[in-house]
Amino acid sequence: MVIRIAAVGDVHLDEDVVGRFRPALEQLPDSADVLLLAGDLTRHGTEDEARCVAREFGGLGVPVVAVLGNHDHQCDQVPQVVGALEEAGIIVLEGNGVVLDCVGGRLGVAGVKGFGGGFAGRCASDFGEPEMKAFVRTTTESADRLSEALRSLDCDVLVALTHYSPVPDTLAGEPLEIYPFLGCYQLGQAIDSAPTALALHGHAHQGSERGTTPAGIRVRNVAHPVIKQAYSVFHLGDHLDQPQVSGIGAGGIQQSWS
Amino acid sequence: MTTHRDYGTGPPDEYVEAEIHRMLTEDPAVAEQGITVVRRERALVLSGEVESAHRREEILRRVAERFPDVPITTDIGVIRAQAPTEIEQLP
Repeated sequence: MVIRIAAVGDVHLDEDVVGRFRPALEQLPDSADVLLLAGDLTRHGTEDEARCVAREFGGLGVPVVAVLGNHDHQCDQVPQVVGALEEAGIIVLEGNGVVLDCVGGRLGVAGVKGFGGGFAGRCASDFGEPEMKAFVRTTTESADRLSEALRSLDCDVLVALTHYSPVPDTLAGEPLEIYPFLGCYQLGQAIDSAPTALALHGHAHQGSERGTTPAGIRVRNVAHPVIKQAYSVFHLGDHLDQPQVSGIGAGGIQQSWS
Repeated sequence: MTTHRDYGTGPPDEYVEAEIHRMLTEDPAVAEQGITVVRRERALVLSGEVESAHRREEILRRVAERFPDVPITTDIGVIRAQAPTEIEQLP
């Protein structure tokens, strides 16, 4: 059983970017069962920019599942942004999940934007001024919703999709001082509370690709500036023995395990 | 009593650097959080990656407009958007 997942985040679309991803996206259905978008789909979170996202990432022939990012909140038009994406058939998650029937099995995706706060031993606490408490409560509520969504899905393979990072590993390359604005350990804790197979996030443009949660669940930063390609493709399956990277030939993916 | 210093020839570089860094995010014409501002001996260097050549030009234009006296050099790339040539298998 293999489920093929394509993912990218932080594409920051506006009129000037429309069409750049499309040639690569046209090839996507040959190599993936689903495309996951890890937030910051737009530049400022306007309805017009969301329509650009809909044009670029809609009608692919495979399901597209997204979470929003901080940029998508900038203009306070979240309902309009979500509406424009949903009109194009893009599934937008925020504290909920979806189960997709793929050839290789049922893929469950639980998603939440998430928030900052920092990582174990170096994080903000729910204490002091109302602004500080509101900040940390936003973090914990978001993580709680992710945990609940992950645990509610009945599927063969479970994936967590966030914008903010659940671990510091994938932030390597970013200045240490801004880690608390890039993610929080509570998201990692939520991912570890369920039988998650893979966690995908964006947001950290100067971070790195690979990490694991404290319980050993794989985490991948799929921010476009990090992966430097239109999307990354991950194969998840029970029978694969060793993690490895294979080439995609001109005729499609080289199935090195077959 | 604390008084604000008269900067004389202009604000210290560190404040200019902070202001440019914030402007890159907060200016609606730019809205980039991934641009690094580094102070070198002869200029401020802007580096990072953006989604289009138009955005790179806009960053230069806005920074030059707002800080006409600050020598700026840039090393900003446009992120490649080709289809992947490899997959990652996760057992």
